[in-house]
Amino acid sequence: MTQKISGFFASMTMVALLTGGSASALAADNWSVAAGDSAVTFTGTQLGASFDGAFETFDANIVFAPDDLAGSKVSVLIDIASVNTENADRDGQIASADWFDVAQWPMAKFETKEFREISPGMYEAIADLTIRDVTQEVQLPFSLTIDGNGAKASGEVTIQRTAFGVGQGQWSDTAQVGDDVTIKIDITATR
Amino acid sequence: MSLRSTALRFGIVAKTFHWVMAVLFVSVLAVGWYMDWLPLGLEKLQWMSRHKSIGITILFLAVLRLIWRAGEATPDAISNRAWEKRAAKIAHIVLYAVMLAMPMTGWLMSSAANFSVSVFGLFTLPDLVAPDKDLFAALSYTHWLLSWGIVALVGLHVAAALKHHFIDRDSTLRRMLPGFSDR
Repeated sequence: MTQKISGFFASMTMVALLTGGSASALAADNWSVAAGDSAVTFTGTQLGASFDGAFETFDANIVFAPDDLAGSKVSVLIDIASVNTENADRDGQIASADWFDVAQWPMAKFETKEFREISPGMYEAIADLTIRDVTQEVQLPFSLTIDGNGAKASGEVTIQRTAFGVGQGQWSDTAQVGDDVTIKIDITATR
Repeated sequence: MSLRSTALRFGIVAKTFHWVMAVLFVSVLAVGWYMDWLPLGLEKLQWMSRHKSIGITILFLAVLRLIWRAGEATPDAISNRAWEKRAAKIAHIVLYAVMLAMPMTGWLMSSAANFSVSVFGLFTLPDLVAPDKDLFAALSYTHWLLSWGIVALVGLHVAAALKHHFIDRDSTLRRMLPGFSDR
């Protein structure tokens, strides 16, 4: 069965190659993320002091090639409940209805629409970020080094939490809990 | 009245430290208990932030006070009983110790809880330890124990002052009041 399916995909690929011509020959690579060496972290401010945390569980699908940015695509699903700010009260709050409302929206999604090269080794991803039921476009600049079959990417983007409805009611007061949240990604992947 | 204390009376600086810190002690304890009683929410966090700010102010003043004290004379305790003088000395040393220990355990707690201390929103203190749940629990318990220790200690301090004033009828309490001059 498996063989039949892969055989099917192989012949589809052949068809694509034959019909699509040279564009397909430059197809971007699939990368798999080394979970232990990768992190999605963030920094927020609370009552005047900054704090940091991480989303420990996330799933990334990465198709990327520097020479085929148009054919590159990254989508990341972040498990909000995996948040860890080293403070059980705060982690509980983050998952609660006023914040991310994990019961309704357990995942945040980051999906690229476009990549741009800023300079050699520096790129920018234009992506849709969905938190709760709000989708906003974000621009994530990141550095990338590819060494053989391994790659490291890191970048950060600052978003406004209230734009996503994160922090309802009393928590929408950005003087107490800062509006700006900087999300930082550090990805190690292999192809 | 002079700024500096002498062997007989307290100077303006020592008195000011004493009363300002007395007010801050009462405030920080009141805020501490109030915030503990509040449910988790913005209000609790705001009071917690005020509590931390007052606590760090106490720590700062305690350090200044000790430095100042080291550079001037300290009036002798008024008593004919050696044990009473000794007890007063020990109680005062312990009061100074908790002025430092209480804010320090609070600061450590904040660090262990990954909730850095912002002092009145003006600046943020560096974290002293890495986030650690068990350490936080231990510090939290210590901080709580110390709070009741301070209540007992301040209670003793006040009771002793009143005893000197009403029973011994000496100037122990009066000489710490503003405007008191030694006759």
